[in-house]
Amino acid sequence: MTTIDPEVIRHLSETSVSVEIETEDMTLNIGPQHPSTHGVLRLVARVDGERCFDVQPVIGYMHRGYEKLSEVRTYPQITTIVNRIDWVSGYANEVPFIVAAEKLMELEVPERAQYIRLILTEMARIASHLVFNASYPLELGAATPLFFALRERERVLDLLESVTGGRFHPNFNRIGGVKPAYASGSNTRKLSQDLPAGFLAETHTAMDKVLEASEQLEDLVAGNEIILARTKGVGELPPEVAAAYGVSGPNLRASGVAFDLRRNQDYLPYERFDFNVITGEHGDCWDRWHVRLLEIRESVKIVQQAIDGIPSGDLQAKVPKVIKVPAGQTYVRAENPKGEMGYYLVSDGKSGPYRLKIRSASFSNLSILPWILEGALVPDIIAIMGSLDFVLGDVDR
Amino acid sequence: MSSSPSETATHPLQEFADHVAEAVGGTAEIQFDTVKVRVSNQNWIGAHATARDDLDLVFFSWLSAIDWTNDVEAGDPLDEEVDERIELMSALSDLTEGRLVVFSTDLPSENPTIPTLITTFAGANWHEREAHEMFGIHFDGHPNLIHLYLPDSFQGNPLRKSFPLLSREVKPWPGKVDVEAMPEDPSPDEPSTENPEA
Repeated sequence: MTTIDPEVIRHLSETSVSVEIETEDMTLNIGPQHPSTHGVLRLVARVDGERCFDVQPVIGYMHRGYEKLSEVRTYPQITTIVNRIDWVSGYANEVPFIVAAEKLMELEVPERAQYIRLILTEMARIASHLVFNASYPLELGAATPLFFALRERERVLDLLESVTGGRFHPNFNRIGGVKPAYASGSNTRKLSQDLPAGFLAETHTAMDKVLEASEQLEDLVAGNEIILARTKGVGELPPEVAAAYGVSGPNLRASGVAFDLRRNQDYLPYERFDFNVITGEHGDCWDRWHVRLLEIRESVKIVQQAIDGIPSGDLQAKVPKVIKVPAGQTYVRAENPKGEMGYYLVSDGKSGPYRLKIRSASFSNLSILPWILEGALVPDIIAIMGSLDFVLGDVDR
Repeated sequence: MSSSPSETATHPLQEFADHVAEAVGGTAEIQFDTVKVRVSNQNWIGAHATARDDLDLVFFSWLSAIDWTNDVEAGDPLDEEVDERIELMSALSDLTEGRLVVFSTDLPSENPTIPTLITTFAGANWHEREAHEMFGIHFDGHPNLIHLYLPDSFQGNPLRKSFPLLSREVKPWPGKVDVEAMPEDPSPDEPSTENPEA
């Protein structure tokens, strides 16, 4: 057995120290103010080198207590509140709440009003998905898609505004139907109880332009190798995990689950229109982006079919002046741009609800973060977070 | 609660509701197309596990509660006296036909406690933290039962009916005042939509 010179051993041990650096975990704090958080969100992560572990989202910076406020407001006042939950698609928030109240009142809503609700909901979906298509490539370093997407979004929002008077917070649904456009006094009300002139034709043309832009967006993003490298195979979400966390909407469909509440719930007459439920294969960031892009095209199809088939008639069912909703409980859920949005409404026959549970999509979609970011690379935090497409107003309510 | 014409034995969801109730050992009721299955406290976790494994109700939609009480500080009180309790509810759905079941159980208003659902549905984590701070429900075995929305120092459970809404105590408008002043001609068959001069 040969003996090793102690000097050599000392030298070797020093080498091993310099090769395997002793590292300490670091706590990384992202937010609450960060451009990629779409609101005010704080993340606390333990970082070991380039990987992050134990990610804890800290939410509540935008908590406005809407469930409590709903208990002291009347039904017509609550649409104003729920508009502000997911402000990127404010219109879509109103519909399931109004439908829940109508269900308890057993109101039959005129067909024309239902079609208008459906058209505007799909336009809100297009606007919301366009914001995603603007901000997500930007977060990954591609600035150009933003201009294409926001240009089209303005087109859609202008049309929404021409009907409702609001870009973000339309407050357009009324129990029993929709608000008559231009109703500002008892005389004008009877004269112009409908959509603004030319709205349907303009929307039809605008949808063609949105379709064109969605193809440009696909060329811009899908042909970009950097975006492909940063999104393919990143942040994979298996369907069974998504279901256990209540992840819904495009995020769930990107994981390969063909589940769309527009197909199986009756809050709006979607069964009359022909559209596809878009799914992804791997549930990675790429699929989540791609599903939303393709869903824009399906929404365009729905809007154009609805415009072609919109019936004439009333915009409002007969409702009493002071709305009291009969006692009862119901849960109405809808496929909103971000996922399942639902209202559990408990009424005791008063002018306001006894309890209103608001199920918002982003809340459950964001709760997946600790799972999906476990062991992810630090630069991928932004890529994964952005791909979930949440809005903090929809998380905190 | 009141009944409605849709609440008859021939409701299209009745068979499904009875099937779920039998499988989890609870009682089913259908109100306005919403299936609610009442289970006991002891059966809370078991019912959810059965629903997930045997009934394909794999999608965890939400969990929340209702404070049934006669002591209402914010909002309108109930017409009739109720048994004071916290009704804990959770909603599960399948991912094929879109059928949803609301599971419901009653907890005492004082120190409501129930085992956590996290091991059955990981998504219950945040919902239980919310129900904990808003209603004061204690979820046994929850690993991180801290405030979700509210600051750590916040006292009280805001969604309890006994929790006053201070801004409404100071000034009741908007809400009660403008509604009560309005009905000059409340004839129910007038096809009114707006209050034009409001």
